[in-house]
Amino acid sequence: MASSPDVTPSAEHHPENPESGSAPAAAGTTGAPVRRGRVRARRAAVMAVPAALVAATLAVLTAEGALGVQFAISGMPFTVTATELNGTGFEQFGGLDSMAPGSPNEGDTGGQVLVVTSAIKNATLTKLCQSVDLGGTNLLITAGSGAQKVTATDLTTDSTELSGDASFDNIEIGNDASTLTKAGVKGPIGVFSQQADTVRIANLRQTNYATTAGVFKLPGLKLRFSDSGC
Amino acid sequence: MSGPRGLRSAFRGWRADRPFWGGLLLALGGGWILLTMKASLKVVLRVGMQGLAGYLLPTLMVLLGLLVLFHPAQRLFYSLTGVLVSLGSWLTSNLGGFFVGLLLGVVGSCLAFGWLPDQEPRLSRRARKRQAAAAAP
Repeated sequence: MASSPDVTPSAEHHPENPESGSAPAAAGTTGAPVRRGRVRARRAAVMAVPAALVAATLAVLTAEGALGVQFAISGMPFTVTATELNGTGFEQFGGLDSMAPGSPNEGDTGGQVLVVTSAIKNATLTKLCQSVDLGGTNLLITAGSGAQKVTATDLTTDSTELSGDASFDNIEIGNDASTLTKAGVKGPIGVFSQQADTVRIANLRQTNYATTAGVFKLPGLKLRFSDSGC
Repeated sequence: MSGPRGLRSAFRGWRADRPFWGGLLLALGGGWILLTMKASLKVVLRVGMQGLAGYLLPTLMVLLGLLVLFHPAQRLFYSLTGVLVSLGSWLTSNLGGFFVGLLLGVVGSCLAFGWLPDQEPRLSRRARKRQAAAAAP
């Protein structure tokens, strides 16, 4: 690449002079054609080819479940469904999420949404489906429909709706949210909460308002646009 | 030499002096990723450093894009860092803003990397061959 004759003429040129750059542009209309910077395709390809390879590798590793990825979607409500969720270290407490002042999503809520925060230390999900309504179309992510399941650590969701058939082991109901210990997350003081050693929810369906954040491993990842959500 | 026309040609001259589209795309990619993950910072802090990295990488993308625009002399370093950070956002920030932001960032970095200042207007391959043939004897 470096021996290409296209590259050498500009080797000594210093690009940092915007004022003098516009002057020849005006003069160029009378005499020789304007000299301006441009993208050399082969030079760009030197970076583009390895970058594309790395991006493809990342996508493949993620789809095989070898690499965890992190999610923190928000501002828009999104739906998560799974046929089965198994988790260890479960906490749940109420909270109030505030939107940014003047947010267009405010509606008649006064900018605040009552949410249930659920935290799970380690979770395994079967047939995960997650959809975000983008207005007219849905962004759909599915994973874990094959033999390998989706695993997540430090999964924290703020949801407005949660449904499913749940069973818990060693559940403690009515703790103060600031004294929770099972999943490493503490809520505000003086708020009702519950925690359990293990949790199992079948036919899980969640409408999450504010957040999930945690590392997901997504074997069999599919990302696509769809007319209908999960 | 009226206002708008003078401004426009000044802008064109400014644009010709730097990898304009490269820097712009890189900054836009970072902005898009930030837009897809405007989760409340409270929760991110609760989740810890991993959550914070999700914000750090797209912010770096915006900064590097702006630096490519306003300090093009160092564009090689900025674009190399930019492409690595863009690829890293796949892991930390919603699959790189659902792939869109990652794509913008990588394309922008490549454009900035491949950009060279002060080039002769490009000749087609045929024209170049003809010139060479004319110069040969």
